[in-house]
Amino acid sequence: MTSPSAPVVATGYPWPIETTRLDNGLRVVVSEDRTAPVVCVNLWYDVGSRHEPVGQTGFAHLFEHLMFEGSQHVAKTEHMRLVQGNGGSLNATTNPDRTNYFETMPAEHLELALWLEADRMGGLVPALTQETLDNQREVVKNERRQRYENVPYGDAWLRLLALLYPEGHPYHHATIGSMEDLNAASLETFKAFHQQYYAPNNAVLTVAGDASPAEVFALAEKYFGLLEPVASIPPAPSAHLPGPATSPVRETVTAAVPAPRLYLSHRTHQFGTAGYDAITVLAAVLGNGRGSRLYQRLADGARIAQPDYIGSYGVDLAHAPAPLIITATAKDGVSVETLEEGLSEVIASLVTEPVTPEELSRAKALLTTAWWRQVSTVGGRADTLSRYATQFGDAAAAGYRLPQWLAVTADDVTEAAAYALKPESRVTLTYLPESNGESA
Amino acid sequence: MTLIATRPDPGDARPYTFPDLQRVTVAGGTVIGAHLPGQALASAMLLLDAGAARESAGREGTATVLAKSLEEGTAERDSAAYAIALESLGAELSPGVDWDTFRVGVSAPVPQLLDAVRLAAEATRTPRLDPADVNRVRDDEVTALRMDWAQPGPRADAALRADLFGAAERFGRPMHGDPASVAAVEVDDVLAFHQAWFRRPGVLLVAGDLETLDLAALGEAAFAGTGGEPLAAEPPLGVPVRAERRIILVDRPGSVQSTLRIGHRAPERATPDYVAMTLAATVLGGAFTSRLNHLIREVKGYTYGIRGSYAMSRRFGRFEVAAGVQTAVTVPAIVDTLGEIARTEEFGVTEDELAVARSWRAGQLSVEMQTPGSIVGALSTLVVHGLPDDYYATLRRQYLETSLAEVSAAAAAHLRSQGLTLVVEGDAAVIRDELVAAKIGEVVDSEI
Repeated sequence: MTSPSAPVVATGYPWPIETTRLDNGLRVVVSEDRTAPVVCVNLWYDVGSRHEPVGQTGFAHLFEHLMFEGSQHVAKTEHMRLVQGNGGSLNATTNPDRTNYFETMPAEHLELALWLEADRMGGLVPALTQETLDNQREVVKNERRQRYENVPYGDAWLRLLALLYPEGHPYHHATIGSMEDLNAASLETFKAFHQQYYAPNNAVLTVAGDASPAEVFALAEKYFGLLEPVASIPPAPSAHLPGPATSPVRETVTAAVPAPRLYLSHRTHQFGTAGYDAITVLAAVLGNGRGSRLYQRLADGARIAQPDYIGSYGVDLAHAPAPLIITATAKDGVSVETLEEGLSEVIASLVTEPVTPEELSRAKALLTTAWWRQVSTVGGRADTLSRYATQFGDAAAAGYRLPQWLAVTADDVTEAAAYALKPESRVTLTYLPESNGESA
Repeated sequence: MTLIATRPDPGDARPYTFPDLQRVTVAGGTVIGAHLPGQALASAMLLLDAGAARESAGREGTATVLAKSLEEGTAERDSAAYAIALESLGAELSPGVDWDTFRVGVSAPVPQLLDAVRLAAEATRTPRLDPADVNRVRDDEVTALRMDWAQPGPRADAALRADLFGAAERFGRPMHGDPASVAAVEVDDVLAFHQAWFRRPGVLLVAGDLETLDLAALGEAAFAGTGGEPLAAEPPLGVPVRAERRIILVDRPGSVQSTLRIGHRAPERATPDYVAMTLAATVLGGAFTSRLNHLIREVKGYTYGIRGSYAMSRRFGRFEVAAGVQTAVTVPAIVDTLGEIARTEEFGVTEDELAVARSWRAGQLSVEMQTPGSIVGALSTLVVHGLPDDYYATLRRQYLETSLAEVSAAAAAHLRSQGLTLVVEGDAAVIRDELVAAKIGEVVDSEI
């Protein structure tokens, strides 16, 4: 068995990247790879739930659903039928920062995918009907029930955001929105939403896979080139925060959950900064894998935490200090106080017991695998390039992330912990079962 | 006009290719490698003929406890040293069991794969299985199952399985056991399972850049110290279906959705109707534009999503529709679902619907097979079901060429709308009376 030496990686993106910008402001990124006869078309719109005003929570995500319901030259239900009916996979997601749309197709259907995306970028409003809105509102309310309300601990993320970010901050409310706001959504609001944000100069189009830059640039010009830019797109409300919180916050929820669980969370740094790279490595040292400090000390060592439900991870938000979330679930007979004490000690140890070379190289090895897994598909690559083009103005900056993770030192991790993980800046969300002895 | 009104025609179709396969026989076992040039990661999977079907009655979950015990230390090192050795390669072990096989998967950057496979083999072939550790893992697994069973779904799944296959039969019990059966697992059960089924070489599957990877060395690492002949296959179980529909109500007080699991038995994976059945199920409940998703989600707004499919293993299969629907519309959603199943059974599918299903299934063979992990999964299907190396090219052709008449005939033969078991997991106090009044079938309460 050889011990791996520190990996040397010059770039995390060894494929070619070509970019252009159409006259209407649409940025186009192409990453050619002829290995497989598939191509991914990915669009990032720089609009997410952080743009939603009071009373309109959940609108960016509900709007994402409407984008699949037909546009000027695409009948209702035809979008899905054309993509799947030509062999493709498709989806879209909305988060606080942005909304993305993507389809991976057999390569001969590249032009179809671009036509579909252009039609819903430029021609959604004429196709939008009250019937469609009413239907998709019900679908989204069922999504909320299924993902957040009907599962134990399902509302943890909704609660954490409200505790981490002050009232009025763009990250204070969750992307899924409230039932009240969804019920109040009017057709006119969505028409205005589209005209405001779904503009070529507010989007990045990335194509990765079996297609050449010249071909994609010409098709982008053909299908998107005549769309009008929008003159003044209002920015999201200010996301400025002075730094980590200065006083601790606690919330305890008694609910139909099978065991006590804790979520400890801190605001850290913005995604894309050196500070957040250190937090990413810290999260892996602390809570990724069986060799992590949390697992070794609380699941394997003290045996107070359930081994399947312990870990830590950052949520990669780019417009304000992003959350680090640390979670553990008590083993049978272990009190939530004991568990919290254990978690607090392990978190504090990141400052008092410097990270060892073995811990650092283990964390970096896991992050390296995770990075290569993310870019192992044309879909993963296209989404990564769209992100870096949207958030940092440079698709090629995607290549720096892995080397920057690998450059993080033990001192960087200690410093990040000392800055961001102070007990006085902590959000503590506790779930307790309604009654003892409740069976499944 | 700023938009192009005319939908573009497709470009020239690229030829379909599945990665080139290489087979190496070494140290008594077989290695199958798929060449993926240029991938930074590689995946390997050791496939053992040690599925959940081999567990003893009342001890369902034994193989799962064994899977979770493999990393609790080996003959060479304790659990902490093992975790650090493996994770320092960027690798994580994913041992798991299904009805037909026990699988130990591992992925790592290409230069680290051999060391990762050595460690995977060390855990698989020579786990320490200290009794105190096995007991603790068993207790943790009972807790983890209770956590899982607090979610909507697992209880409904168990109720459906018990009704279709018989609660006393292994195939009528959950694949990973239930909290009671796992609690009954003893250290000796785990040791005996390892002793009985983990000593044959099995098959090692590898996907990655074969110009760098040494398949023989990987095989020697995986098969060291093993021996014995492959086990004989056992016969399929048959396809009995209920004479009348039955509703099983699983109470989940306060639930804001009802979880539906609706199904009946179906043929095993080797059935000659496999492709036609898959296409029929794609039209009914597989694609986004399927009959079920269109009606229940896109027209009625009852659900976030509904799916219908056949799942088939070596010895049996089943048809199942799964969805979560808003509590207040539980009965209308069931009535509409039954209507679509019955319509598909009786009248088959249309050419337009079939065209979508054919192209989607064929295209997915390229679109969803890009990564080493997905290719290893595809290789495992070849091994488990005895399919030839050129199978995926053949399957693609069959998807594209199977006729409307064949697909409609498969729907008629393998959908049994009158013999369905309907499990409804939801707030019984709210939905029971309406369910009874709907006269869909006899309503019984689940004991799960």
